Amino acid sequence: MNVLGFVLAIISSLLIPGIITITKAKMSGKKGPGVFQPLFDIARLIRKGNVYSTTTSVIFQIGPIIYFASVVVALLFVPFGQYKGLLSFDADFVFFAYLLGIGKFMMIISAMDTGSGFEGMGANREALYSMLVEPIFFILMGSLALLTHYSSFYDLFVHIHYDSYLTYLIAALGVYLLLQIAMVENSRLPIDDPKTHLELTMIHEVMVLDNSGFDMGLINLATGLKFALYGGLIANFIFPVEWSLYAQIVVFIMVNLLFAVAVGLMESFRARNKLAKNPKWILMLSSISLIVFLCVIEITQKLL
Amino acid sequence: MLVAYLLLAVVTSGAVFCFRNRTATLLSISLFLVGQTVLTVYAFCHLNERDCTYFTFDSLGVILSSVLTILSFATFYHSYLYLGRQSDNKRNKSIYYAALIMLSASLNGAYFAEHLGTLWSFIEATTLCVAVLIYHDRTNHALEATWKYVFICSIGLAVALVAILCISIASSKEGVSDLNLSTIIAHAQGMDTIWIKITFILAMAGFSAKMGLFPLYAVCVDAHTVAPAPISAFISTTLMNVGFLGIYRMYCIVAQTDALPWANKVLMIAGIFSMSLAAVQLLKVKHFKRMFAFSSMEHMGIVVLALSAGGIGYYAAIFHIVLHSFAKAGLFYQIGQVCSVYHSYVIKETGNYMKLNPLGSIVVILTFISVTAIPPSGLFISEFMMFKSLFAGRHYFVAIVALFLLTIILYVIGKRLMHLLYYKGEGVATLEPVKLNNYETFSQFVLLGLIFYLGANPPVFLTDLITGATAILK
Amino acid sequence: MAFTLIILLELTLLYLAFTERVKRFIFILMVQGLLLFGIAYLHLKQVNTLEFTFIVTETILIKGLLVPIFLNRLRKKNNLERLAHSKLPSFVSILAISAAIAFGFLLSEKIHDNDLQSKFFSASIAAIITGIYFVIIHRNIFTHVIGYLIIQNGVFLLSLAVGNEFPLIVNTAILLDIFVGVLVLGIFVNRVGERFEEMHIDELAQLKD
Repeated sequence: MNVLGFVLAIISSLLIPGIITITKAKMSGKKGPGVFQPLFDIARLIRKGNVYSTTTSVIFQIGPIIYFASVVVALLFVPFGQYKGLLSFDADFVFFAYLLGIGKFMMIISAMDTGSGFEGMGANREALYSMLVEPIFFILMGSLALLTHYSSFYDLFVHIHYDSYLTYLIAALGVYLLLQIAMVENSRLPIDDPKTHLELTMIHEVMVLDNSGFDMGLINLATGLKFALYGGLIANFIFPVEWSLYAQIVVFIMVNLLFAVAVGLMESFRARNKLAKNPKWILMLSSISLIVFLCVIEITQKLL
Repeated sequence: MLVAYLLLAVVTSGAVFCFRNRTATLLSISLFLVGQTVLTVYAFCHLNERDCTYFTFDSLGVILSSVLTILSFATFYHSYLYLGRQSDNKRNKSIYYAALIMLSASLNGAYFAEHLGTLWSFIEATTLCVAVLIYHDRTNHALEATWKYVFICSIGLAVALVAILCISIASSKEGVSDLNLSTIIAHAQGMDTIWIKITFILAMAGFSAKMGLFPLYAVCVDAHTVAPAPISAFISTTLMNVGFLGIYRMYCIVAQTDALPWANKVLMIAGIFSMSLAAVQLLKVKHFKRMFAFSSMEHMGIVVLALSAGGIGYYAAIFHIVLHSFAKAGLFYQIGQVCSVYHSYVIKETGNYMKLNPLGSIVVILTFISVTAIPPSGLFISEFMMFKSLFAGRHYFVAIVALFLLTIILYVIGKRLMHLLYYKGEGVATLEPVKLNNYETFSQFVLLGLIFYLGANPPVFLTDLITGATAILK
Repeated sequence: MAFTLIILLELTLLYLAFTERVKRFIFILMVQGLLLFGIAYLHLKQVNTLEFTFIVTETILIKGLLVPIFLNRLRKKNNLERLAHSKLPSFVSILAISAAIAFGFLLSEKIHDNDLQSKFFSASIAAIITGIYFVIIHRNIFTHVIGYLIIQNGVFLLSLAVGNEFPLIVNTAILLDIFVGVLVLGIFVNRVGERFEEMHIDELAQLKD
């Protein structure tokens, strides 16, 4: 049954980009493409061959593949209700975070490998924001570990008991933070706008400017997978493990759907931050995670 | 009694504000002054009695209230003359008088407050009333000074409110359920020293904005610079006294605990810093009222030094507050006259005052003797007692530094005032003597006479009152 | 429950450091007023009509409604839109306020007093420090008023943390003072706005030797 979660996550990863696109289109009063349009795009990209610049080396060629692989492997860690993820061990959230880190690192060095000024700039920004976002994830997970005395994803989520207002607050803040981490990691609003057409203000899009064909398809697929990754974590945060399997499947899909719709709504109704404001924004998220930590200390009375 | 008095103040100030004609204003002001006098006499006759639950007629309150009464007579009189010399804007005049009445009333409320919350709210009320008075001239400078004064005082008093809440925490642990001063002082001995220390340092910082003492002194100086001269006289005395009262009340609480030596150190630092900052600023000052504002700051520094020295210093502190009030008020009233001669407070634009207004010059000389504490004046006695207590407490270094600073201040003020009196250079030589109201000068002589009289031969009731006020510290 | 509201209050403090729009500042003050009502209401041991009325007046009516409306009118009149922190890089304020929150928390843990509701204490310390910090880093006097109001909110929380309460009449006097104080400050902000080109603190630095 552990595979079920993985399969559901893969399915939702394929649908999420489409749902986001539809939501955004509806919100701006347009008809919008079908749900599967992003998939068709990816399929088209994957059918095409790669074009490599002569200045690039092997790093540029393996970068996207490692990136994609790291995301897929990270997806194996996401638990599903009372079932563990396909991989699960103590302190696996650290492994999870650094797995994603490896992928991102490969993308960054492959962007550097092209020797293009624009891509270097994008890689620089992406590296900065990932670095800033890391403490948020760790403080959040560390707080949960302190709260539950366990350290693997599965145990963390299974052992959270919502028994006081404070735990509800922790859950709300945790979901909010995960949502925002997903936005930052995927380079979406308010940090970065995937629709922007000015290289000077792009972050992620400018980093992958030289990738084409199959590689580009993988990168786009990985974006959907990353959304599903965080959607799955949020779903685990929310639903109680006692529920029946079918209810959990429904809830999982609903949460992922809602997650996609929420992302679409957020992207429709808010403006993108000024670039200089981004570090401040991420720093505020870490402060919120600090508050989560303080709440946990208050509950467990660990400090005394 | 106090509630009746406060009601009277509200009614009379309301009448002044609403009717805006000469008769009604005069009538209301006289009514208020009568009420003020009656309250002070009543308080003196009912010493140490509770009044209207939240007030007590204690000795320090009676002393400061008497000073307030005397000065409010003088201030209303000088304000009348000052506003007469100014343009005839009835609205501004009525606002001025109404605010002055409310200021005196809230000062009295603060002097007699027994409950700490009452004390706080009356002190905050004085800030709001005095804002209107400082802003009287409606100039950019007045706006700047008012804004700074109101804002910094509000922040300072918010800090003081935190201090009051801290003392409430400390006292509730001792089982004290109300915040009456007498109860807190009675139970202070067993309170947690940490809380007492936090309370004292916060209250000290907060009330320093009102007292014009070291941490937040700047706003007071600015306010005294731009306010109309009679208001400068009033606020650099009575309003600073209320800041002193706030600190003194907290000091009385601290004095019951083991934190007393620590509090003394804090006071001593604040006092020395105030004096040295005042001395440094005085060296470059160009404006008469600013100079006297810094002189007030220096005197407040002396007062807290006296308080920190203990022993006879307690007596000296209160005595000094009283005498300084009279001296500084007389000086500011006289500076108002100086301004009507030169139409400026800038030191360089004045001179030859001895010829232009001989009677006024005598006031200047006498007030000079007073504010710099030269022997025949009463302030010499109080400062002498202060140094005595400092030496007795073996604070030799502090005493020597203080003496040195006083010398600088004496030099600066002397130089500037001599310039005013005798300088015969260009600009002033052509000025004609101005006909001034002799009664105005006479009222200043009364105040000066009080300084010399009280210094040389303090009446028994005054010494009793001061001893009564400091009795709690021994 | 009360603690949850306190955490929300601390979140509003953080948001205050993040945002630069004057409208948001005012909105945050409103939210804080409502949160303070919730906290004070939950703190009441028994609901007594008089005290309840007082709390409603103080928090919802004054802190949550009258003061924000007044500030909003002031904002419109003086065309205030955005106030950047000019003295320090912006993320420093987030760090500082996070530090203030953490400090308040640690302090209350350290004191750990039975009479003292340490949770209230921690948030009030954070609010007071935030307010003072705000006054220090901002150069615009309108923001200074907002800083002052945050300090007052902190003091209100602290007064809840304190075991013995002020008598109602004294409380009313304090409330009246603060309210009139805000009005007076607002009037002077307006005057400064009329008289000077900008509401900048540097404009107000003419008085010196």
